[in-house]
Amino acid sequence: MRKATGITAHRKESATSERGASAVKTLAAIKTLGFTHVLMIPDSESRLLYQVIEEDPDIQLITPCREGESIAIAAGLWTGGRKPLLVVQITGIMEAGDALRGCGLGPKVPLRLMVGWRGYGGAQAGRMPIDSAYTYTEPLLNAWKIPYWCIMGDEGLPMLELMDRTATETSFPAAVVTGYAFRP
Amino acid sequence: MTMTTTLQWPLVSQHELDFDFLAFGMGHAGDFGLGIALARPERKTIVLKGDGGLLMCLGSLVTMGRYAPGNLLVLLMENRTYEMVGAQPLPPRVEFTALAHAAGVEGGGATGRGKVERITTIEDFEKALPRLLTEEGPHFVVLPVSNKEPLPPVNHKDHAGRIRKLRKGLGIE
Repeated sequence: MRKATGITAHRKESATSERGASAVKTLAAIKTLGFTHVLMIPDSESRLLYQVIEEDPDIQLITPCREGESIAIAAGLWTGGRKPLLVVQITGIMEAGDALRGCGLGPKVPLRLMVGWRGYGGAQAGRMPIDSAYTYTEPLLNAWKIPYWCIMGDEGLPMLELMDRTATETSFPAAVVTGYAFRP
Repeated sequence: MTMTTTLQWPLVSQHELDFDFLAFGMGHAGDFGLGIALARPERKTIVLKGDGGLLMCLGSLVTMGRYAPGNLLVLLMENRTYEMVGAQPLPPRVEFTALAHAAGVEGGGATGRGKVERITTIEDFEKALPRLLTEEGPHFVVLPVSNKEPLPPVNHKDHAGRIRKLRKGLGIE
């Protein structure tokens, strides 16, 4: 696996990937990396991940009302010495642009993001119309200069560690992008 | 602290734990403070934010009503205007204590002991402050204020340096 550089790269990856990572295995990877808090607003593709995190006593789940809040709370948690993970559908990144700019990119806060790539599965299956959230995902992350890696199945979960290490080393936000709904 | 407060506070305090949130994300000072309060339960976290800023992020009241820990004190500067950008008026009928009540802050937060109050005079605020600083919260306090002084100049530079200075003050870096 490597850093995604374009839609063609993602398509090649997904052709050999399982469709969606296991929520249980994803939670295990999150815990292994020492995350203390997960901030997420439920969406249909991440709901199983939400469920396993909610049931886990070792991770504090915070569900704000909107993603700009999530990002600012995460920046405060990091400032106070904790390690939060933001699980955000790409539409939430679109909503939270100013918070991401102000609390992440500008002050060089190493926010760790797990971004749901809405519309990816449908686009890969050739379903029309193409979700505009799908179309804008990569250009948007590239515009923010946020490095990202894809997790399309369980074999992509090691990308979490790469993303985490990159955020630490660069002191800048970094992301993994999930293209499919989580499986149990 | 955020917006107009960030211009005036440095005139009275230069503490290493002061943090000017201006330019860090419109309306999100309270959210940032909530994160610090959750991360550092042994400290009191005080947020000074404006009423206009709160309107930009009203959902944060609901989040506070659910998650805010007992060490969070939010002081809402209620001047009914967007003072920093020209003193344009806020919607005239908005009632901030009622919003906080409806969002579940009173009797809420992580402690179930959240308190909402409105303090209208400086004398009453001085009297209440020792309680607000020691009593378990979270607290959401609306402070009607007015300003007749010219605002000091905006000075917001080196965002990365300032957030690291705060971490250093907290003993993180």
